[in-house]
Amino acid sequence: MITPDLSKPEWAAQKTYTQNRLDSVIKAMRPELTEAEKARPFAKYYYDEIPQPDPAHYAKMDDPIDPSEAFYPEDINRLLDVDWLRQSTEIGWCVLPNGAGYICNSILYPESTPEMIDWWFAWHPLEDLRYRIWYPPQHAGIMLSPIDRARILDPGVPMKEKNWGVVHYVTENCDCGYENIDINFRNPADMGFDMTRFDDVIATFAGGMGWAVAVQKCDDSITAPALMVHVFYKEEGGLRHRTRFWMGYRINEQNKPELCLPPHVSVPAAAVQGLARHNVKEYTRWREFLPRIYKELGGSLYC
Amino acid sequence: MPIKLTAVSRRRPGLTRAEYFRYIEHYHGTVARLERFKIDKYIQNHVIDGAFGTLADDDHQNKIADRDGVVELYFSEFRDMLATLEPEGVTTSRANQDGRFFANERTNVLCMAEETELPVANPRPKFNPGLGEPGVGGLKVMYFIMRKDDVYPNDYYKLWQKAHDEAMAASPYAQEQIRKIVVSKRSRVNDNDAAARAHFKMVDPPVYDMFVSFWVDSIEQVGAFRQYVAALQESPYEFADWSQSFYLYVRTVRIIDDAPPKD
Repeated sequence: MITPDLSKPEWAAQKTYTQNRLDSVIKAMRPELTEAEKARPFAKYYYDEIPQPDPAHYAKMDDPIDPSEAFYPEDINRLLDVDWLRQSTEIGWCVLPNGAGYICNSILYPESTPEMIDWWFAWHPLEDLRYRIWYPPQHAGIMLSPIDRARILDPGVPMKEKNWGVVHYVTENCDCGYENIDINFRNPADMGFDMTRFDDVIATFAGGMGWAVAVQKCDDSITAPALMVHVFYKEEGGLRHRTRFWMGYRINEQNKPELCLPPHVSVPAAAVQGLARHNVKEYTRWREFLPRIYKELGGSLYC
Repeated sequence: MPIKLTAVSRRRPGLTRAEYFRYIEHYHGTVARLERFKIDKYIQNHVIDGAFGTLADDDHQNKIADRDGVVELYFSEFRDMLATLEPEGVTTSRANQDGRFFANERTNVLCMAEETELPVANPRPKFNPGLGEPGVGGLKVMYFIMRKDDVYPNDYYKLWQKAHDEAMAASPYAQEQIRKIVVSKRSRVNDNDAAARAHFKMVDPPVYDMFVSFWVDSIEQVGAFRQYVAALQESPYEFADWSQSFYLYVRTVRIIDDAPPKD
């Protein structure tokens, strides 16, 4: 393990588990930036005018799609069949017959590359402000554990693998109030992808399993699981980003997706639609912002 | 088995240990067999002895310093657990209602966990001399390790694994005598246990993110575990609150298990 250099903000940002949970209440109020944050070279992005989603795209999240147009996490390898995907419904959400929430989204990035994606997913969890500038209206903060921080900052770990096994502790509003979401990033094989075909189709990937609970947690609060997959494909005109969420699922110790809703319980439609809308908004912002910040800061995790 | 429900209990007031063990094995166990619902396997662990905290503690610092039994209910998936705890068409299952007759339920410690077996240097030979459970040894030790509050759960598991490997490497008698090790990691589905806590009238129960089970041939070899524990607690890695951790020596009783004997 590499030795922390506490003179650098990337290391100095470390908080304990207890402190981060306490801080999340403050983070959820989205306080004004501190003087130290304002001095960071990327602070200016916090004050960007945030681009609004394409109205036609956003409108596709108004009403649920027919569940027969969705697929289940056991069939995750459908994401390797591009011809099939192009014939299918690529933008929408619904509650599946088994009660799980399903979200699909697709967006083309004309100016982004797989290297930018990998850099971003390693770069942004190192400080709260890095996460906040992604989507300032709804991203409140982020934290890593000390061991995960060391992995991210270890130059011996390839950029696209840095998040494998790492947990991002984010504080985020997915249109249903602020939640603490612990996102356990995984490698694609542990998500169930067929690795004999994966690299032929997928340019890069970020995904895992999240557990979300309200920041203002009480004794009866539900901690909700979800599977999340972001897959990126090179195609004419840029990089295609496809997203899938399966809410109500977890991945068990055998690396199998498992529905863990009580019988006859469904994920509330408002929660599914909220995450779907949030997804469109945050990645609309990302589409425009990632090439700019990568041009300025990309290539290093320190700044 | 993908998931299990573990309840660590003490006996209700007025019962002797012998009465408690007799009741849970012969009456409650029978109730569970009659109302099996979706239970795949049900193991009772009757506590023979145990220790809470460390010798360095002046007083007990954990909320619980007496445990008499640990039950482990195994299910194929989480929904099967729910379907068994709250079976459809049954207002109050006999098993649910029976607990109050033997357990001090409000002091229960619940842990919904997933198991991973670790390799050991010297697993028990195929020949079973009749010391206990086929293939694993006659005495089981269950070690409930409290995570330090400040430590992230994902780091806690990684640090424990490093500390475990080093402690085992430093404990030759443990390497020789420990026949099997199973790690039970708490699942986040356990976060949604408000109904169970309300049912048992549990107030702010302690949460254990992991417990580890060890098997040795008989209680004569339990010193092997003690050698390992001494090395583990001397680990330089800061991940556990040893004062709130505890271990139990238990006798396992199979209530429901369809698996054929391994020996």
